[in-house]
Amino acid sequence: MLESLLEFAIQGVVLGGLYALFAVGLSLIFGVLDVINIAHGEFFALGGYLAFAGIVLLRWPAGAGVVAAAIGTGLLGLAVHPLLLGPLRRRLGRRPAGPLYLVLTLGLSTFLQSTLLLAAGGEYLRVPPHVRGVLDLGVTAVAYQRLLVLGAAVLALAALFAFLAHHRQGLAIRAVAQNPDAAQAMGIPLGRVHTLTVALGVGLAGLGGALMAPLFNVYPAVGFPLTIKAFAIVIVGGMGNLAGALLASFVVSLAEAFSVMAIPSEWQNLIAFVVMIAVLLLRPQGLLGRAVVR
Amino acid sequence: MLVVEGVRAGYGRLEILQGVSLTVEPGALVGLIGPNGAGKSTLLKTVFGYLRPGAGQILFEGRPVTGLRPDQARRRGLGYVAQDGGLFAEMTVHDNLVLGGYVLPSRRAVRAAIEAALERFPVLRDRRRQVAGSLSGGEQRILALARALVTRPRLLLVDEPSAALAPGMIDRVYDALVALHRTGLALLIVEQNVEAILGVAGRVFVLDLGRNAFDGTPAELRGSDRVRRLYLGEAVA
Amino acid sequence: MRARLPRAAGWTALAALGLLPALLPHPFVLTLATQAAIWALLAASWDLLSGYTGQISFGHAGFFAVGAYAAAAATKHAGLSPWLGLPFGAAVAGGLGILAGFPALRLRGHYLALVTLGLAEIIRLVAQNWLELTGGPFGIHDFASYPGLPAGPLALRRARYVVTLGVAAAAVVAMAVVCTRTAAGRAFRAIREDDVLAASLGVNTTAYKLLAFGLSAAFGGLAGTLYAYDVQLVSPSVASAATTSLVIGMAVFGGLGTIWGPALGALLLFAVGEALRFAGVVYNLIAVGLVIMVFVIFLPRGLAGLARGR
Repeated sequence: MLESLLEFAIQGVVLGGLYALFAVGLSLIFGVLDVINIAHGEFFALGGYLAFAGIVLLRWPAGAGVVAAAIGTGLLGLAVHPLLLGPLRRRLGRRPAGPLYLVLTLGLSTFLQSTLLLAAGGEYLRVPPHVRGVLDLGVTAVAYQRLLVLGAAVLALAALFAFLAHHRQGLAIRAVAQNPDAAQAMGIPLGRVHTLTVALGVGLAGLGGALMAPLFNVYPAVGFPLTIKAFAIVIVGGMGNLAGALLASFVVSLAEAFSVMAIPSEWQNLIAFVVMIAVLLLRPQGLLGRAVVR
Repeated sequence: MLVVEGVRAGYGRLEILQGVSLTVEPGALVGLIGPNGAGKSTLLKTVFGYLRPGAGQILFEGRPVTGLRPDQARRRGLGYVAQDGGLFAEMTVHDNLVLGGYVLPSRRAVRAAIEAALERFPVLRDRRRQVAGSLSGGEQRILALARALVTRPRLLLVDEPSAALAPGMIDRVYDALVALHRTGLALLIVEQNVEAILGVAGRVFVLDLGRNAFDGTPAELRGSDRVRRLYLGEAVA
Repeated sequence: MRARLPRAAGWTALAALGLLPALLPHPFVLTLATQAAIWALLAASWDLLSGYTGQISFGHAGFFAVGAYAAAAATKHAGLSPWLGLPFGAAVAGGLGILAGFPALRLRGHYLALVTLGLAEIIRLVAQNWLELTGGPFGIHDFASYPGLPAGPLALRRARYVVTLGVAAAAVVAMAVVCTRTAAGRAFRAIREDDVLAASLGVNTTAYKLLAFGLSAAFGGLAGTLYAYDVQLVSPSVASAATTSLVIGMAVFGGLGTIWGPALGALLLFAVGEALRFAGVVYNLIAVGLVIMVFVIFLPRGLAGLARGR
């Protein structure tokens, strides 16, 4: 019994790390730009593809491949605001956007997924584990690969939070999230901050994709189920609240892991949505409230 | 220093400013008053770039700034303090000041500028690590001014510095404004509280329904019966 | 702003496209035309809720699936005649729509879109995993289609096309009539413009929002039943987000909030997509994605907006 519990807990925590990378990036983009990036999962997939290209095709060491994949995804993410979000914002002016941003990122998602399909084909690409071997904990064992995912996620998120708390550009990002007019009055250029924020957010997703490539395999639609689940997580945590997204990621992942004791495993994926609906009905501002990017 | 000529501006199809002109001499303290809806705040927002004028032009230090974005206007030497202070309520006093120094070239310059600001406004020193939203109304207004000072604009646009403040706080805020003015900073202050501004301004412009209604010294303003009847009556609120 | 000419032109275009297969009675064309009619109905039903009433729903695939599954299951397990299966599937979907409308009353904008997306995903997961009810990943097959139609492959194909087109066309017209000529339609428009203001002016926004959800879901479910009886196979993929994505793309292309716009957009986009499909399955979705992005930025009012002169 204890072994199972421990195994579930480890599984939940590792998965939580992945969810957190994904959900925090999504929440960051929402908090700063007020845009929900439906295409977030495609950047996850892209991270996986870049990792495949680096590690399998170019035979780079795993670490270099993962880092390059994350950076590559972030660089591509730099294009999203100037090409798409920015022009729409300019055309809207002060008019309310309604569903338009959602539709725009939906179009981007469709476009990216099918482009990946065209460029790389639909088969599941295999990436070997970044690290091999298993950590023996006595009662149970954990693959180092899974620990790597968790460790890298924690490091990346810690770096992000530190950046937002102390670095001049991190403060600028928070300023734009809290009060864009005042941020401009400080001399902060909104467009550049938006561009950087999107790149950071999708870069995190790309990192997740690169880390998970050995576990999930790589194919164009690999990111979409995560995207939908991440929406639920972001709502549970409080939209735009990064700490909330972090917390909710682990709440959901642990709930999913432990749920196996009570319900058949195919129904695991429902949990995130059930939790989301419960939160919306009982505490709509989310666990930590719709605070802005703190 | 600042020349506004024939500016028309508004929100969407609603035109508020219908050809307004105004000047601010270097180092001057100029007041902008008028009834509600006259367009005073709208004019400040247009000068700083939050709104694009439909017609007219705006020159700052001889160069056109019409249509610049607010962050660009900031880099040209204009500063802006919003009616509610425009603070980052969920950040600390310290972080707000750091952001005030966003356009400064180095961390050392930012630190020095923050030190200077805290020297001038020592009430903020104790509150440095406090979240800005938890300060009192008057302290928040002081923080907004201190923050504006960190980057040394050459002309500061201030929107209703006395709004929603108790009389004692209003005096402190105006003392701070006058202190800033004495360092050589030019000020264009929009005010509902006519008495407060008339006490310190060198020149006053009056707007009514989006047009110029009067300009002159406070003494000239008080001396004109017509103006007093129309506008100072409002002030005794 | 009412524009009679573009609206009339839009309806004419729809009618013309509807009659096109009569001129080209090739079974392949008929099959495509049948599917196109189903998409047109689905897109118009989405528009009624999201474009016309302003309640942004990203879960329309769910109602489509519910209608399809309800009809297929009823016909397969209870022997319900497909002619009755059509209204049955629509009713089940409509009921679900009203249920979904209740929590949606409290939500706006982003939240509403995400929750509806989540609801559709729940439906898809249920469809995928509840073997007894839905046949699991393999879905429901082996059920009858409309009885009493002529035999012979081409004649049957044509008859099915006529049935589908007839039902879909009647449904789209019905939605348009409701929106433009009834008090409900006026209420929908008021809710889209400013539902707080509408409520303060005495409009029963709760009732009308639920009505919009119910109608939209019912007609979306009707599209699902038409799909079920045409393809005679219902699998969990009908509830996928890709379906919703396509529908929204078609609606944006055609013009949100016009009912006829999304129907026309669906027909055109479907035709273009299928034509591109000959170059390779992949290209048409790339084109759809591009169309959505370009239109949202440069032509947010879609074709209908072009007709009105933006």
